[in-house]
Amino acid sequence: MSALITATGLTKHFPAGGFLGRGRAVQAVTDVSLTVARGETLGLVGESGSGKSTVGRLLLGLLPPSAGHVTFDGADLATARAGDLRTLRRRMQLVFQDPYGSLDPRRSVGAQIGDALSIHALLPRADRAPRVAALLEQVGLAPDHAARYPHQFSGGQRQRIGIARALASGPDFLVADEPVSALDVSVQAQVLALLADLRARLGLAMLFISHDLPVVRHLADRVAVMYLGRIMEEGPVAAVFARPRHPYTQALLSAAPSLHPERRRTRILLQGEPPSPANPPSGCVFRTRCPLASSDCAHAAPPLQGAGHRVACFKAE
Amino acid sequence: MRRLPWTPIAAFALIVVIALLAPWLGLANPVSMDVPHRLAGPSAAHWLGQDEFGRDVFARLIWGARVSLSVAVAAAALACVVGTTLGVVGGFLRGIAEILALRSIDVLLCFPPLLLALLVVTLLGPGATTLIPVLALVYLPGFTRVAYAGVLTARSQDYVEAMRVLGAGKSRIMLRTILPNIGGPLLVQFSLAMAAAVVLESGLSFLGLGVVPPAPSWGLMIGAARATMTQAPLLLLWPCLALTATILVMNALCDGLRDAVDPHPAYRPTARRLLDALAPGLLPTPRAVLDLRGLTVEIDTPHGPIHPVRDVSLQVFPGETLAIVGESGSGKSVTSLAITGLLPGAARVISGAACLDGTDLLRLSEDRLRNLRGAAMAMVFQDPGSSLNPVHRIGDQIAEAIIAHRPMPRAQATSAALALLQRVGIPDPARRLRAFPHELSGGMRQRVMIAIAIANGPRLLIADEPTTALDVTIQAQVLDLLADLKRERGLALLFITHSLPVVAEIADRVAVMYAGEIVETGPTAEVFLNPRHPYTAALLRSAPVEDGPAPEGIAGVVPPPTALPPGCIFAPRCDRAAPVCTTTHPALEAAGEGRAVRCIRWNQP
Repeated sequence: MSALITATGLTKHFPAGGFLGRGRAVQAVTDVSLTVARGETLGLVGESGSGKSTVGRLLLGLLPPSAGHVTFDGADLATARAGDLRTLRRRMQLVFQDPYGSLDPRRSVGAQIGDALSIHALLPRADRAPRVAALLEQVGLAPDHAARYPHQFSGGQRQRIGIARALASGPDFLVADEPVSALDVSVQAQVLALLADLRARLGLAMLFISHDLPVVRHLADRVAVMYLGRIMEEGPVAAVFARPRHPYTQALLSAAPSLHPERRRTRILLQGEPPSPANPPSGCVFRTRCPLASSDCAHAAPPLQGAGHRVACFKAE
Repeated sequence: MRRLPWTPIAAFALIVVIALLAPWLGLANPVSMDVPHRLAGPSAAHWLGQDEFGRDVFARLIWGARVSLSVAVAAAALACVVGTTLGVVGGFLRGIAEILALRSIDVLLCFPPLLLALLVVTLLGPGATTLIPVLALVYLPGFTRVAYAGVLTARSQDYVEAMRVLGAGKSRIMLRTILPNIGGPLLVQFSLAMAAAVVLESGLSFLGLGVVPPAPSWGLMIGAARATMTQAPLLLLWPCLALTATILVMNALCDGLRDAVDPHPAYRPTARRLLDALAPGLLPTPRAVLDLRGLTVEIDTPHGPIHPVRDVSLQVFPGETLAIVGESGSGKSVTSLAITGLLPGAARVISGAACLDGTDLLRLSEDRLRNLRGAAMAMVFQDPGSSLNPVHRIGDQIAEAIIAHRPMPRAQATSAALALLQRVGIPDPARRLRAFPHELSGGMRQRVMIAIAIANGPRLLIADEPTTALDVTIQAQVLDLLADLKRERGLALLFITHSLPVVAEIADRVAVMYAGEIVETGPTAEVFLNPRHPYTAALLRSAPVEDGPAPEGIAGVVPPPTALPPGCIFAPRCDRAAPVCTTTHPALEAAGEGRAVRCIRWNQP
């Protein structure tokens, strides 16, 4: 499989806030390298503040990285000319978490789905309505829904509309930022099935950002686990879920509540809370909560290493 | 688009048409004098009488409307266009554009508006054409500020970012996405500016700085009438009436337009009926801490009353956790609000009883209920950030909660607060006593909420989605804390959640709710292992399990409370539905030891 999108050494520090900028810069993402191949789904998991949404926006070029670069199908986003960037935009799209905030409340659903067609002048005006109808059908809605407004739909239907909008420009790469976490569980499963189906039919590559581990297990091919802006572990889902090597991944997997508590792994209850990304610990950022941490961990950040299944931990066996 | 506000539109059109048609209405010449008949009262020839020069007041009123209205509308429109442009450009582009647009407006804002108008009129000389830019300048900052504030709110919305993802240009986003979304406040601002401009025009004309006599304007008429107020008080009345009526019509028009361009349906709450006589509840089981019988809640909506909770009965025993699980719209939160007496105004309990240790909460006065809340019955909510007062220290808030129910010296309450913080596992509790809520993380704040909840030794703790906003590793800590407290204090814990895995972790018994009814209840392990209601089974299949099969959704959607199906409410989505299910509403029937299910086919193959 050839890489469609590659991030190398991606770092994003948000400038210090506070009076006269005296606060510390927030180190949202530090030295993240990843690739997504054509047709592949990479799950990105982590808790709030781990920087996973920022990685999604950096990959889409919505935020300029502080360091590192993103290459999409061979073109570097940072150096692409404006015209090329527009074409690249068409090929990568975002599905939002909040099905309520992500649709313009004052415009009909059809108009919003049709935006991509008119912005990129993909179709003559007369052909846009049939295309919008086809997109609505593709995500399991009725073509006559195009004339309605967002508030006339349920959360699950809105999320389908958001997906239809993202698909309108015919993208190769989709960033799905917690696309089901605002939905009820029975609706969640419908939307996940839709995403899996579209991915298979359209050959989409996907970055699936989620904090819900079982969901990632079902949808992703590979998974990357983030903590405090860094990737702790990355590998094929089956391997990472069956044999997590990083102590954080192990704790995360064991902390997730399970429908079958009797079958659950031994629970590793992490103490304390994640440190502030404005003031991360030296060395390995996880060491302040790590059950295995020793004095070595404070000196240098462990590199993400390994073949196929990579892990950033000095203690990983 | 919704219905247009036809009444104000017609009224405004009438005013405009009359003013425009003034030359052809066969009115008396508004400037021809008739001094012998000065200050004459109303007559057949002069309907509203004659002014201090004997001019016809009716004619002057209508001719004056031309001047006053055209100045006001033109000035408000000019201010609206320029101000909105500055605000949108400044707010959306930020950087240098923001500084130029906003700071120049801030300078304008420093001058008192009347002084500013006086200054410009003095420089340019009076007259209707000068008035328009003068008034526009006065109302410009308002439009810029409103537009700017609107843009700052709108630009952080996901749907604006969605347009960026689609590759839309800046001008397209500003015009097509942001502008319609700040239209409502701008229309209100427009109506205010227009009304105020009519008044200010009158004021400036009254001061002799606006319209030049003898041309008629309402302001001039008011000014002139003031001089002869004692002889002919009616002369003051006519222009003031015209001014008032015009302003009211403009306000109504702009409000109506704002509602009309808003695609959301307006909610008009109906008057609240007196609390209906409550049906007497059945005798409570003595052992249960909370015994809820036949709870039904009604909410008035524009489409008639709905019942988000129907005939809900459940018991919670000491040292036991009962979880109510359901999706949005299942009525689980309404149930907990009804128990605690915190239902919103439009909702009321129409039948049922909720006995807390034998006292029916639903029939208590608000005073007695308030004494129970936070003492015998405590609550923990989903969002710890908004449940704590941001301007008081944590320690003071806990001490306050203790003193409210158990009067004691402050120092004693503070040391009790310290012990509570320690109990809920907050590191360095002595220092945290002096912290403000924003200095704590979400998990810490939830621990503080739990500390407040257990401060007065409650018998019943109601936790409504207490871990939903928390990360999974923090959620695990908080669930452990709640389970420990329940064991150690013999609490009855009513746990409301949408998450099946959380139920599996924490609950002894579970009640599954769907569209306002309990569809199945029983010991958690048994219900999850062997669900008897098709909805419970489908819900379990839809929950992703790490090492299990792929989750399956439930086709269809939860029926809205306004259109419940006649038979079993789950029948339209049920894979086991038989014809009888669509006609007969099933009762909750016993289905084995401690279990009950609302399905007529539960024991059929």
